[in-house]
Amino acid sequence: MDLKTFKKQESKRKISKGYMWALFCAVFWGIWYLPGTVVWVLNPFDGMYGSIAKTSGDGISLVITAVLITAFNALTVMFALMLWNGVLGKYRELGRTLREFHPCSKWFFLASIFGGPMAILGSFIAMGFIGGAFAAVAGLLYPVIGSILAYYWYGEKISRRAAMGIGIIIIGGITIFGGGLLTELSSGNVQWIGYLGGLMAAAGWGIEGAIAGKGLDISEPDVGLTLRFLGENIIWWIIIVPTLAIVGFPMYSFALQAFEPLTLLILVFAGITFGFCYVCWYKSFPLIGVGRGQGIGNLYGFCAIIFIFLFFGDIPDWTILIGGTFCIVGSFVMFTEDSSALETLRGE
Amino acid sequence: MTQTAVAMEAYNGYWANSFIPEANVMWMVLILILAILALWQARTFVSKF
Repeated sequence: MDLKTFKKQESKRKISKGYMWALFCAVFWGIWYLPGTVVWVLNPFDGMYGSIAKTSGDGISLVITAVLITAFNALTVMFALMLWNGVLGKYRELGRTLREFHPCSKWFFLASIFGGPMAILGSFIAMGFIGGAFAAVAGLLYPVIGSILAYYWYGEKISRRAAMGIGIIIIGGITIFGGGLLTELSSGNVQWIGYLGGLMAAAGWGIEGAIAGKGLDISEPDVGLTLRFLGENIIWWIIIVPTLAIVGFPMYSFALQAFEPLTLLILVFAGITFGFCYVCWYKSFPLIGVGRGQGIGNLYGFCAIIFIFLFFGDIPDWTILIGGTFCIVGSFVMFTEDSSALETLRGE
Repeated sequence: MTQTAVAMEAYNGYWANSFIPEANVMWMVLILILAILALWQARTFVSKF
């Protein structure tokens, strides 16, 4: 086999693995909605919501409860990632990357600011003030921001075909949640803070992807993501949760009550799904690029509908079936792209 | 804090209409299978790239 053929074969293998990781991301992200939904009805979070709502109102209560749930989610994700890195034998690499702050780990700490308090909290705010369908639609727009940033910042190539695939998947996602969105929009007053939350989610995840793409030029995705979640844990547990406790919210008393078997079990499964989803997302970026990785990752909307249908028994509307078809068509547009177009992910 | 009857009713209510038998356990089994599959793929990936 000559060198050219070997290079072509290697590139093809790399791309197929990249798409595989992005698909794994979509599946884990979709199934995360099961623990992510049921945890809200369990104590202490259910009790916390009721307790804070009595004194501060429903809106504030929802955001504060979301902060504690997200903080626990970040903690269990960290455990899941330590397991992941342990199985792959990457603890030494983790320490090495952590020490290289200036060239390397600074990107992942920066990514944690945009991914954690901006995107995840923004998404919860959108969910609370407007509704789940709006939050999901807003989130689906993040590959547009991610791929534009990656293009202008470090010249990542986005072919016309890839852009078309991302566009079709986004249309599919909007169709999936569109019915619910129209109901939510027509049901009452316009809550601008909710729209701000939606914007935070789309911008936060898009910017995080572009920053991660930069950091992944010089580090491994598995350890890079672990550092990103180390940063997020610092933000929640050392900055935000203590600040809210000082302001007067009963953060620590409810946090201690979360050590209850069923709540912990649900949080652990939320951590496994969210952590593995994120690590697969990061693993896809160096192989197929930020734009494609985020585009295929966007199939999470379709996966979430399937898992919710199977496990919660919620029968999907016809809009979901049409949207799902769009998502699958969009994915095929990207999968079937000629691999020679992806031999180099960066422009000249 | 232990779970209240209201919380458990709400929790069990999620799985009551599922199409999958023992859905309250099977979703965790599915996640574990997917997680093992992903870890196996990641190990294969590490050894080949």
